[in-house]
Amino acid sequence: MTSERKDHYSLLGVLRDASPEEIKRAYYEAAQRLHPDKNKLAGETEIFLEIQQAYEVLSNPKRRAQYDATLPKEDASSRVIKYAIQYSRANLVHLDEPQLVYALLEVGPRETGERLPAPPLNICLLLDRSTSMQGEKIDVVKAAATQVIRSLKAEDIFSVVAFSDRAEVLIPAAFQPDRSKLQARIQMMQTGGATEILQGLDAAMREVRRSLNSKHISHVILLTDGHTYGDEQACLHLAEEAARDNIGISALGIGSDWNDIFLDALASRTGNNSSYISNPQDIQRLLMEKFNTLTNMFAEDVVMEFKQADDIRINYAFRLQPEGGPVAIENPLRLGPILQDTPLNVLFEFLIQPSASKADLVTLLEGALKVNGTAHPTPIPPIRFRLDREAGDAPQSDPPPSAILAALSRLTLYRMQERAREEAESKNYENATRHLRNLASLLLTQGEKELARTALLEAENMERMQTTSQESSKEIKYGTRALLLSAVGRSG
Amino acid sequence: MIVCSNCNHTNMAGAVFCSECGAPLGLADSLTTQNITTGQVREAVSKKPVLHAPAPAVALNNDWVTLHLLDTGQVLPLSERNEFTLGRISEGQPIMPDIDLSPYQAYANGVSRLHAVIKREGNQILLMDLGSSNGTYVNGKRLNPNAEQILKNGDVVALGKLKVQVLLKPTGQIN
Repeated sequence: MTSERKDHYSLLGVLRDASPEEIKRAYYEAAQRLHPDKNKLAGETEIFLEIQQAYEVLSNPKRRAQYDATLPKEDASSRVIKYAIQYSRANLVHLDEPQLVYALLEVGPRETGERLPAPPLNICLLLDRSTSMQGEKIDVVKAAATQVIRSLKAEDIFSVVAFSDRAEVLIPAAFQPDRSKLQARIQMMQTGGATEILQGLDAAMREVRRSLNSKHISHVILLTDGHTYGDEQACLHLAEEAARDNIGISALGIGSDWNDIFLDALASRTGNNSSYISNPQDIQRLLMEKFNTLTNMFAEDVVMEFKQADDIRINYAFRLQPEGGPVAIENPLRLGPILQDTPLNVLFEFLIQPSASKADLVTLLEGALKVNGTAHPTPIPPIRFRLDREAGDAPQSDPPPSAILAALSRLTLYRMQERAREEAESKNYENATRHLRNLASLLLTQGEKELARTALLEAENMERMQTTSQESSKEIKYGTRALLLSAVGRSG
Repeated sequence: MIVCSNCNHTNMAGAVFCSECGAPLGLADSLTTQNITTGQVREAVSKKPVLHAPAPAVALNNDWVTLHLLDTGQVLPLSERNEFTLGRISEGQPIMPDIDLSPYQAYANGVSRLHAVIKREGNQILLMDLGSSNGTYVNGKRLNPNAEQILKNGDVVALGKLKVQVLLKPTGQIN
């Protein structure tokens, strides 16, 4: 780890042109984590001393200038990450009304031909064992967990927490040389009780945190079939803390009774997503898919810190791949992971107020991309970037790039579904049915007869009963989401 | 603004597809409908058609509250008495609830034998938890045992995990 790449800037994880405030903030953050009174791992005290030294140099303008002169020129080709941006329009128009523009961001590893070895995992399976899991579901979950255990490598850290209205650590986090003992403990799991996700999540976090380090990819996989009540806010808070420690949370929802909006919110706090399992037989396949994704990580999380003018905002953001799902709009944005073979694609919708479109060059957003890559041996320096568009008097008439068109045509379906859900939630069933009918006819024109039928039936059901069906609304949501992902796979 | 030629919905400038009906707008207009292979997608979406319970018959008799069991879609109109205890009947039980929820998976959903009581007082419909093991929730908020809570039309009550929507008659009609 003593390569010449590790200059003072990359030690602190800041850019060469970072402002004094940014350097100070990065130093405080690192110092809090690595201070000899608090650090946990061997070698961290040394890193702390190096960081202190780096800060002493960089916080003094004179010494910083001297130090800068000794550094080799920053070379774009030495970067490990590359990114590209496409826009829906070549320019904006000076307008007296709000306007939209779309941007598609792609972040991926620079092709070097070499494949980095997959980092080891520190994962916790968080399994719902409430009464409703009784029967087939719990049996399949046990089988699926056993399959994960068989796929573990010697350097993986593994734990299992089962929860109902209380949590129970079935397998404490550790390297697991004795597989058969683990399988026996999984088999002993019994169903009973209600679903309280907070209890389980708290225990799972404790297990993962016990061996938290920068060499392992830390992740919690939650499998549940029920609603949790009253503890949602506390759960989201835990997820935000997890994101700060670079722990991911993914959720797999079984059947129709779980709260997909909540689990999506929970997972997206860490840049991950939720999946819908309509048939218990699919639990094993989806859990293994999730596991394989984790073993194929290039970077667990891409975080975007950004600044925007008051009259411009990100209206909507959606991760197209890998693991498509909505991106929670907050600052910083947690965009999601990059896989060894799949770059990260995020589609943004910007809303521009008339006052902002008066300028000739409109800055949509200014920020930096930070890539948390456990697989990469040295910290990846953040990338500073800026999205802007020129604005003119006349609109130009080139069609949007095909990648944006393909993604947007499918995203439109997904958002119609979202709108129907929102209207239904606020009891505007008339609007909700209209959105569903529109969605159904659009799905029909695209040849999606099955999904169109589900949407139509749901519209009829809603009109008569003035209520939504949990099952249909999830089928429509995850169905339109799957369509979206297939569109990207095709164009990319 | 762009007015959608398909449904006349006004969209914001710069929109590519109509947010109301999904038709391509302006710049994307020349685009023909794309055919996309969907084998993969079908797999992801469950295939069985969705069947729903028949619509509840509009209540003409004098029931003052209707319980709509959200999981199964069944509807229980309540009338004649002003107070009903909800629970499930099991062997050797001294006090029976007025409404036995056993046919609706009450046990698996954690409904207690004497779980809650629903009653009407004047124009108000009240719900009270009777110290049940798994609690009573109104729209996701847990009730304190033995404290009355006023219900509104459309409230979702959960007895343990058994979800029931409460459909009330408009207040004027309660007699």
